[in-house]
Amino acid sequence: MRKVHKEHIVKLQDYLWEIPVSFRDDMRVPGHILAIEEILDNILDDRSLNQLVNVASLPGIKKASMVMPDVHEGYGFPIGGVAATLYPDGVISPGGIGYDINCGVRLLTSRLNLKDTNEFIESLSKEMYAQIPSGMGKGGFIKLTYKEIDKVLSNGAKWAINKRYGIENDLEFIESNGQLEGADPTKVSEMAKKRGLDQLGTIGSGNHFVEVDYVDEIYDASIANAYGLHTGQLVVLIHTGSRGLGHQVATDYIRLMMGAMEKYNIKIPDRELACVPFNSIEGQQYFSAMCAAANYAWCNRQVISWEARKAFQKIFGHENGSLDIMYDVAHNIAKKETHMVDDNECEVIVHRKGATRAFGPGFEELPSKYINVGQPVIIPGSMGTCSYVLSGTARSHELTFGSCCHGAGRRMSRTAVKKLVNAPVLKEKLREKGIFVEAGSFKGIAEEAPMAYKDVNLVVETVCISGIARKIAKLKPLAVVKG
Amino acid sequence: MKIQNVRHTADLGLKLESRTLKKLFCDGVLGMSNILKGGICQENVRFDKKIRIEIRSLDYTCLLIDFLSEILSVSFSDKSVFCKVDILHLNEKHIIADIIGTSIDRYDEEIKAVTYHEAHVRKNSKNNWETNIIFDI
Repeated sequence: MRKVHKEHIVKLQDYLWEIPVSFRDDMRVPGHILAIEEILDNILDDRSLNQLVNVASLPGIKKASMVMPDVHEGYGFPIGGVAATLYPDGVISPGGIGYDINCGVRLLTSRLNLKDTNEFIESLSKEMYAQIPSGMGKGGFIKLTYKEIDKVLSNGAKWAINKRYGIENDLEFIESNGQLEGADPTKVSEMAKKRGLDQLGTIGSGNHFVEVDYVDEIYDASIANAYGLHTGQLVVLIHTGSRGLGHQVATDYIRLMMGAMEKYNIKIPDRELACVPFNSIEGQQYFSAMCAAANYAWCNRQVISWEARKAFQKIFGHENGSLDIMYDVAHNIAKKETHMVDDNECEVIVHRKGATRAFGPGFEELPSKYINVGQPVIIPGSMGTCSYVLSGTARSHELTFGSCCHGAGRRMSRTAVKKLVNAPVLKEKLREKGIFVEAGSFKGIAEEAPMAYKDVNLVVETVCISGIARKIAKLKPLAVVKG
Repeated sequence: MKIQNVRHTADLGLKLESRTLKKLFCDGVLGMSNILKGGICQENVRFDKKIRIEIRSLDYTCLLIDFLSEILSVSFSDKSVFCKVDILHLNEKHIIADIIGTSIDRYDEEIKAVTYHEAHVRKNSKNNWETNIIFDI
């Protein structure tokens, strides 16, 4: 395949670049890159843009195949990509959602301030590590039966609320209220369910984590106030997804679609882009299973929130240690949404793989407190740097199908960074900076070293310059629990 | 047999090169299991779990990836790692094999998936079978 070089790319704006459809014969739409030039030059180092071009060849894709400034090379779809296909007969591709279905982030706000709690942070980090199971293949304290897991798959976060792992009010502050209606547990394989029986309330490994942060800076006092954020406040950031259950659903359906594509005369440049028409039997089966796995992920983050609440209350007492959900948002998901395409209102299937929904003010699903200010967008940075809270805008609907970046974006392979980083030294250096890291292994710390990631500040600057999100608050880490 | 690490921005990859096709499939299992739990296949442990796997697929490449995916699923669902493979039948679209392994308490790495990305089972100029395999981590 022809590699994308800078000379193939046309500048549309300071923050928006285009690979025209003339670049390759099979492109149905152009490729759009949301990046300032410095970031674009970094993106050209790996094969993300060739993957962007591959996605532009999918049947039914509308407007453009898009990547956010945190994009990096994936397998099939780039990570940090957005693709909208026409409903109902454009394709759905499990690779456009990813193996970790509804991987996402949740931010919990506390009533505590750093200045009053500094001396307790180390014991808090140890208590968080004790309460929240993390690590490779580790099970949680909840052991589901097959009958019960079907209820989790149907009801999502609501299952956890019914079991008292949270309060009814929590649901309002979760994307889609923590439950996708199209979920059908019968479309989830027995193997996937088996893998999910003991993993609720666990974060897993890789780049997943639970962090205690503090609000370092507020950029928009009015919106921050609506979100319940203030300077110095302790908050908890949770990043994980649907664990082995979601991985299995994706594996099962990519395999199924690989065999079905011939029937629909679909040809793709990379097998990881396996896809079928959304309204086909296979497309509908996958979508129902994906919704079920997404529900499992929301339930997982709900149980983890309960574990974090237990840790906070053990250290700070029942009242002072209470935590509220600010918002929970998915960044690996497909949803049926309505957007403007060529000046026409259009129903599309928006694939977000490593991209966050970023809807602006007026979106009726938002909690009443947020409806006038837009949806919170949570952008975790790398361990030891900073994270951001942004708010979605109307501009994101015009430019990116209501989507935004999802993190800093990886720039170095795990193998490469492990050769450069001495994990015990890094852990000690972070501790000297006031960041306590609790991890199951030094390997996990090394792989997630800050140097492995792009500069989250530049990524956030890009999305703010483009107008698809507004900067509301910066968070800095105090304690990190990793797998 | 050659199992080398391949760099990939987000994930982990292996480059496999083996004298026979059967060996390539066995080496794929060995390479994956050593990612899950480093060195376990070389350790003096009791491999007392035996499971029969049967996969039908589109071609050799898909067959290998689907075979490894199935073993990965069984590994996680049974909290095990599999190191030995006894291939009973193998053609372009069908494999039957017994996999033999051991239970473990904790993994070194949690592989989310064995991907088809960059996988291509083929004979190289040295008349060996080879492919890359990218794992989603």
